[in-house]
Amino acid sequence: MSDPVAPITRRLGRRRVDPTPYFFVAPICILLLAISVYPMFYAVWLAMTDAKLMRLSRAAFIGLDNFLRMSGDPIFIGGIWKTLRWDLVVVLTELAVALPMALFLDLRFRGRGILRAIVVTPYIVPPAVVSLMWIYMFDGNFGVVNDLLVRSGAVDAPISWLSDPNGAFAIVAAAMVWAGTPLMVIILLAVIQTVPKELFEAARVDGAGAWMRFRYVTLPAIIPTIMFLLLMRTIWMSNHIDMIFVMTRGGPGFANYTEALYAFMVVQQFDIGYASAIAVALAVVLLCGSAFYVRHLAASVLSR
Amino acid sequence: MSDALVRKGGILLGSVFVAVWSLAPILWLAIGSITPEIKPETGKPWMSSRHVEYFPEQPTLQNYRDLFETVKFGTYFLNSTIVATGTMLLALVVASLGAYGFVRFRFVGRKPLLIATLMAYMIPSVVLMVPLLVILRSYGLMNTRIGLIIAEATNTAPFVLLLMTNYFASLPQELEEAAQVDGCSRLGALLRIVLPLSIPGLVAGGLFAFIATWNNFLFAFLLSTSDATKTLPVIMRLFALGEPAVWGVSAAGALLTTLPVALLFFVFQRMLISGLAAGAVKG
Repeated sequence: MSDPVAPITRRLGRRRVDPTPYFFVAPICILLLAISVYPMFYAVWLAMTDAKLMRLSRAAFIGLDNFLRMSGDPIFIGGIWKTLRWDLVVVLTELAVALPMALFLDLRFRGRGILRAIVVTPYIVPPAVVSLMWIYMFDGNFGVVNDLLVRSGAVDAPISWLSDPNGAFAIVAAAMVWAGTPLMVIILLAVIQTVPKELFEAARVDGAGAWMRFRYVTLPAIIPTIMFLLLMRTIWMSNHIDMIFVMTRGGPGFANYTEALYAFMVVQQFDIGYASAIAVALAVVLLCGSAFYVRHLAASVLSR
Repeated sequence: MSDALVRKGGILLGSVFVAVWSLAPILWLAIGSITPEIKPETGKPWMSSRHVEYFPEQPTLQNYRDLFETVKFGTYFLNSTIVATGTMLLALVVASLGAYGFVRFRFVGRKPLLIATLMAYMIPSVVLMVPLLVILRSYGLMNTRIGLIIAEATNTAPFVLLLMTNYFASLPQELEEAAQVDGCSRLGALLRIVLPLSIPGLVAGGLFAFIATWNNFLFAFLLSTSDATKTLPVIMRLFALGEPAVWGVSAAGALLTTLPVALLFFVFQRMLISGLAAGAVKG
């Protein structure tokens, strides 16, 4: 579709090409080329070098050596399980909390509007603040959770949650679930609200109970969204660094070294070639999921 | 017992659970921030010897005063404000222009370019952190606010583009065509007709960019290490490490770090919720 009033047109072959649209899309394309696309290729190149941050000019091409190094690196190999555990526990727990909440907030009752606003709160608390909050709540000496447990007689002495490998994992995962649940609630609620109410009435008339109505009316309608959310959150959680780092630095020991966190810790030792290799390996594994996600996003735009 | 009573009880129980789950940690932060921590024996606050006080007997604002006087919280707050505002403006400008181009024109390369921008959004920060660190160092942009502003745009610009594309596509094209017949250029049509109609979309996109940047820890930690340019999330990590060793001051800082985004969110809630459901900011 050519634009009749565009000031400049030029001939390219036999077709008239209108440069106007390119002026509009150029700034964002150039920006993303500079800070996303070029850095991505740069990361792939770095992954095949022995680059150190402090002597970058002397970086040498070493082919796939970094990837061979990974296959013999116990921290990296152990990180595969730690990443999977982190993904599974966080994402499934988020869903287990969010789905009942979304179904509950779909009911008609007084105060629903206020509750819908309240439920979003954890999502807007900066992740670094969430980390801080949860560390203090679960502090071994003066944490409020220990205080409540001791007072209620559930335990005899305060527990030092964060110095125990499983305890540290549980606390970080819990903090992450707390921060991540609102997003799922909002998205699920938006979809649940689109289910035609007549279907419920019809099911009710047919004598279906609450569980049957959920199983045969609501669930089929929201299954695609649930699958999409699980995929999206799994990708994000695989790349998550902030809260694991702020709360535990991956510790105690290497207990919470997911692959993303490992790459981040290696950067801080200035071994940027190896860090890039870990990051690229992780990204390639996640790429299949990402491609699916982009197709979903692109479809919504291109259909316009 | 009647069904209505069971239902009422269930709803009450559910409401209490949702409210406690969502607000209790923040409430605890607020209580901590007004709890005085001077130990009578030493006259000094010290974290490891503090005890849990649920209802502080002598609530105080001293922690907030200490926050600004001893921790230089104001500097970091200003840094965060500058960086988040800068990224917001950058993302809004490039994304609005781009979205208009993608929605209102059919041109060679439209589809691949659009998919490429969305792919760019999917490149994880884990992959980008190292190259961005190297690039910023080589251009002397480490420890500058402008460097962080540009780097943060990698997270925000594609998302704002997506939001604005959806928004522009929902506007009728006839108004612009009328303006063009009257001699308005395409850019003029965007500035005078489309953008004024898109205020809700711009507000939503801008706020997302602001909040995402305000909250981002990773790039801030790697790209801005000097004391003069540090932003709030990095300070939160110092607090988490027990520096300063006064929980009350940390709590006050954490609360003030949350306050701006919380206010923005609740004021513009209705515009933001729909955007959240549409795709959400990269995690």
